[in-house]
Amino acid sequence: MDKSTFNKTFNAAAKWPWLVLTPVLVFIAIAIFSPWITPYDPVVQDYSVTLEGPSAAHWLGTDYLGRDMLSRLISGVRVSLFAMSIVLIAALFIGVIIGSFAGYVGGKIELVLISIIDIVLSLPSLIFALAIIGVIGPGYWSMIMALTMAWWANYARMSRAVVISELHQPYIEAARVMGSGHLHIFFRHILPHVLSLVIVYASADAGALVLAIATLSFLGLGVEPPTPEWGQMLVDGMSYLEEYPRLVILPGIALTLVVVSFNLLGEQFALQKVPRALRGYKLKRKKRQRQLEEDIILDGKVDQ
Amino acid sequence: MSKLILRRIILAIGLIIVASALTFSIIAAAPGNVAALIAERKAGPSASAELVQQIAEELGLNDPLPMRYGRWFSDAIRGDLGDSLRTGKSIDQEFSERIPITAILLGGGGIIAFVMSLGIGLLGAVSNGRTVDHLLRAFALIGASTPNFFVAALLVIVFSVSLGWLPAFGGGSFVSWIMPCVTIALFPGSVLSRVVRVNLQEIMSRPFATTGFAKGYSRSSVLIYEALPNIAVPYLTTFGAQFTLMIIGSIVVETVFALNGIGAFFIEAIRFRDFISMQATLLLFIVFFVFVNLFVDIVCLFIDPRIRRETHG
Repeated sequence: MDKSTFNKTFNAAAKWPWLVLTPVLVFIAIAIFSPWITPYDPVVQDYSVTLEGPSAAHWLGTDYLGRDMLSRLISGVRVSLFAMSIVLIAALFIGVIIGSFAGYVGGKIELVLISIIDIVLSLPSLIFALAIIGVIGPGYWSMIMALTMAWWANYARMSRAVVISELHQPYIEAARVMGSGHLHIFFRHILPHVLSLVIVYASADAGALVLAIATLSFLGLGVEPPTPEWGQMLVDGMSYLEEYPRLVILPGIALTLVVVSFNLLGEQFALQKVPRALRGYKLKRKKRQRQLEEDIILDGKVDQ
Repeated sequence: MSKLILRRIILAIGLIIVASALTFSIIAAAPGNVAALIAERKAGPSASAELVQQIAEELGLNDPLPMRYGRWFSDAIRGDLGDSLRTGKSIDQEFSERIPITAILLGGGGIIAFVMSLGIGLLGAVSNGRTVDHLLRAFALIGASTPNFFVAALLVIVFSVSLGWLPAFGGGSFVSWIMPCVTIALFPGSVLSRVVRVNLQEIMSRPFATTGFAKGYSRSSVLIYEALPNIAVPYLTTFGAQFTLMIIGSIVVETVFALNGIGAFFIEAIRFRDFISMQATLLLFIVFFVFVNLFVDIVCLFIDPRIRRETHG
């Protein structure tokens, strides 16, 4: 059993960790080229072929409105990954700005910001996003906004931790002595560290976000019909569960495959060096915080 | 020790107040205010501006936000959460009917996740590096990546539609709870099994495990009697986090299996923009999250003296 091909595959994956990028890259390629590779228009209804099984014309059959399933599944990659990217970029942007600002200025402003971050993080992200959707109403852009507002806090906390630990490196001290301004120090020396760590974490977080988008759409609060989104396709198919389980199983499998590929990437990152450094930041945060506070007392202010 | 616990409890209560104030102010900022919604339900779409004004005055909606929050929170403590805008029933009544359903779901799901994660994690550690270990790792990865509504649909297709063994709707007999509880347990069970597996691997490389081997114990007995107690703290911490995340699962599972629990109530409140029910449910969620975490913290204090010392110093 030990020398099975199955094991060889796993060993290959261990040898070339970047192999795990392949499925994600394939899905990104599908998302980019989907308008050209779908055999049919994913939203065009054709009542002459409703609920047909797989055939030469429709490889994966048609749904209850005669729309081609394969085309809808392929377009679904684009819809999911596009929404996910917008939320991820927006949340990263807001999180990095607020988090690094809090870490850099310190003092009372930091205390206020970190309290807000901690309160947001005390609620599970999706519950927070649901509450915001409840206030601003459902819809595509509401979903994007709600998920962004629920997701930024994680990146803010992380950015702050990185900034605080970097601020105490000797090279920052040296830059300051040489007369570098705050903006120069921040953009030239600190921001690259923040971004390299936060982006790695964010790419591991992408799977969770794809799931969240599908869940909101499944609940009827995200992507609206006729746009082909897997969660929404799945809930549409639930009424045909008994006779045509294909309508539910196909989008479910597509969704699971995408999330598995992103989570595989995330797991790989967790085994690499970079997130270990992240975990170090998390553990040492309290210690560094104390050190920072001592510095504030000794120097009057950290900088400014 | 009791001082430490007291401090945790005070912190927890503080967090409940601050977090509920945050959700309260977000909902209070909603466009299209509550008074207009109530007036619309009373007098139809042609509700006059005076009626809206009168209702706003009665509910005290014209007062400043901190005052409204204070009044709402003190009412909530006394058990008066207001009436649902959607059903007109008092929210206390809704909660007392619905909490037991969600409690069974979370309790059943929690037990399944516990058994599943320990079973898979230990089996993986025993078959360290062999095919079974890899298969279990793949299973955990897929379990943590499959959306729970898809899990629910698959279970219904297999066990209700094809085999006819289990009912497709929950809430009745014991068997009707099996599929909802399994659905909700798959995600936390998969994540926790990785926690067990990874932590056991780390513990097994410690000197005391080597000592165990030197004494002639088998790998399984070192795992179970010496390594397992050592992963209790990381396991419980993640279990607490995953248990609170099961609230999200309950929203989906209650929708699919037509269970009238808290999750379904929350999603209905959101769809109908029933702000009063939303506020009340969010408060309930916050109390639940904070107390689960508090409970885990206190249990960890009891089982691991190192944490006690750390937090003292």
